[in-house]
Amino acid sequence: MVSSAIADARVGGLISAHHPLGTSTGHLTELRGHWDMLVTRALEVSTLAVELAALSEPEFLGLCAWLASSGRELPFRFLSIHAPTKHRELPEAELVERLLALPPTVDAVVVHPDSIEQPHRYAPLGSTLVLENMDSRKPTGRTSAELEPLFAALPDAGFCLDVPHAQSIDPTLDGAHQLLDAFGERLRHVHLSSLDEDCHHVPLRPADEEAFTPVLQRCLDVPWILEAPLPAR
Amino acid sequence: MSDTPHGALERLAEHGRRGFPHLLEARRRTERDLATMQRRLGDVPLDSGASIVLMGSWGRRERTIGSDDDFLVLIDGDERAGARPALADLEGVLGAGEAKPGTQEIFGTQVFVGPLARKIGLEDDSNSNLTRRMLLLLESLPVLGPEAYRDSFAQVIDGYLAGQAKDYRPPRFLLNDLIRYWRTICVDFAGKARADERKWGLRNAKLRLNRKLLFAGGLVPVLLCHEHRRSEQREFLIDQLQAPPTDRLAQAFLRFDAADAGVRALGAYDRWIGRLDDQEVRDRLAALTRSEAAEDPLFREIRRLAKEFEQGLLALLFETPLSPMVRAFGVF
Repeated sequence: MVSSAIADARVGGLISAHHPLGTSTGHLTELRGHWDMLVTRALEVSTLAVELAALSEPEFLGLCAWLASSGRELPFRFLSIHAPTKHRELPEAELVERLLALPPTVDAVVVHPDSIEQPHRYAPLGSTLVLENMDSRKPTGRTSAELEPLFAALPDAGFCLDVPHAQSIDPTLDGAHQLLDAFGERLRHVHLSSLDEDCHHVPLRPADEEAFTPVLQRCLDVPWILEAPLPAR
Repeated sequence: MSDTPHGALERLAEHGRRGFPHLLEARRRTERDLATMQRRLGDVPLDSGASIVLMGSWGRRERTIGSDDDFLVLIDGDERAGARPALADLEGVLGAGEAKPGTQEIFGTQVFVGPLARKIGLEDDSNSNLTRRMLLLLESLPVLGPEAYRDSFAQVIDGYLAGQAKDYRPPRFLLNDLIRYWRTICVDFAGKARADERKWGLRNAKLRLNRKLLFAGGLVPVLLCHEHRRSEQREFLIDQLQAPPTDRLAQAFLRFDAADAGVRALGAYDRWIGRLDDQEVRDRLAALTRSEAAEDPLFREIRRLAKEFEQGLLALLFETPLSPMVRAFGVF
């Protein structure tokens, strides 16, 4: 057992202590919308796990078209798609239809609880649907108490633990443990980074890495998705 | 922490909200059906040193509606004529109708313990001999002749340990044979699928889940032998391997502080057993060809459960104190 929960997973770096570790494409802002290049960059981190983050609706529509292109094959063993949270124009029912039409190789569709209008509309996604806990800026979906009614309405939905989001609500991370106590059986993957004062994802700080370790040790079996690049070591 | 794996699944269930309702119900069904079977076989003539052994879902204590009777008549010593019970003595009770054992003539026959324990490796160790020996060790349950069964079981363990075991080392002979068996299952699956696509979906799902449980449930106790002197390894393995594989794995998850991963892994397996207990699900899976499976919602669900199960097993093997043993002995 390594002393740190996280090791550098870059090619040529230290051997990762965790399997699988992958990246979100959300922090590759300079390549936004260029899915070929985003996937190439993601493959440099891991060929095993990825989250393709389509955070705005136009990006999501572009991703749908890109994934539907003929002969598209992705090597990842864990493929998550982050559903859009910004610039939403599609009616919710239509958005869900498009999420349902994603390729069968998609393992998880991450949806923010505060973007859900009518939970029952998401039920057809079954266990592909994954709800993520929110940060302190959001009005809901932050704690186990706030998430409980959504999971009750969507009994097949999985859970994505965003560790820094939980930290933004409760710096002691007791809240993160409470989320795992409540929804750990549904846990499908973890989002990992640090947050700046505006709750933007930034590279993981050593102090956070240490603070997160007890939480991450309860998540040894699921993919960890980096929402910011690993810091240089 | 208890040293025996028996009952570990229930202890692990206390760490989650959902528990393992399908697995525990399947255990209860196995116990009920075993008692019924024992009553029906009560008058069958049994030689000294003979036992009737059930394998497959019986041995894993996870009988569901479509389970068949994978049985062997296990007889001490070398092959001889006239050993009892004869197969004719069991007609109508074991393997009748839908419960007929289905695996390539491996089951439903008399098997003599001498060759089973002696012929390990080389030409004489046929695929059938390997399969019977491994299933006896990994997922077996006596229906009649429990003492003879235990003696036979110990003879097979001895076949691996005698002259081979070392203090505080996993027994390599057994470990290599176990890994060989798992890889043989995988290769044979692919070979069979090339020749005949029928039941591809159901067989693939069982490979991903039931067979993987079988392998991991054997691998963990064999690796844990590194904690024991060679004189203790025999009894340790007998105690471990006679518990259901779900108990063996549950105990390991608990012991290595990986209860969260264990709850998820065995929770996924529990949901699979629940699905397997639905005839419509079995029929749908059995009808699926490989080309249809990728787009099929049911198969996608099962594949997801299988991934969750595998991830938990990998965490147990590679992210707990078992990891050095896997690294030292699992590859070469």
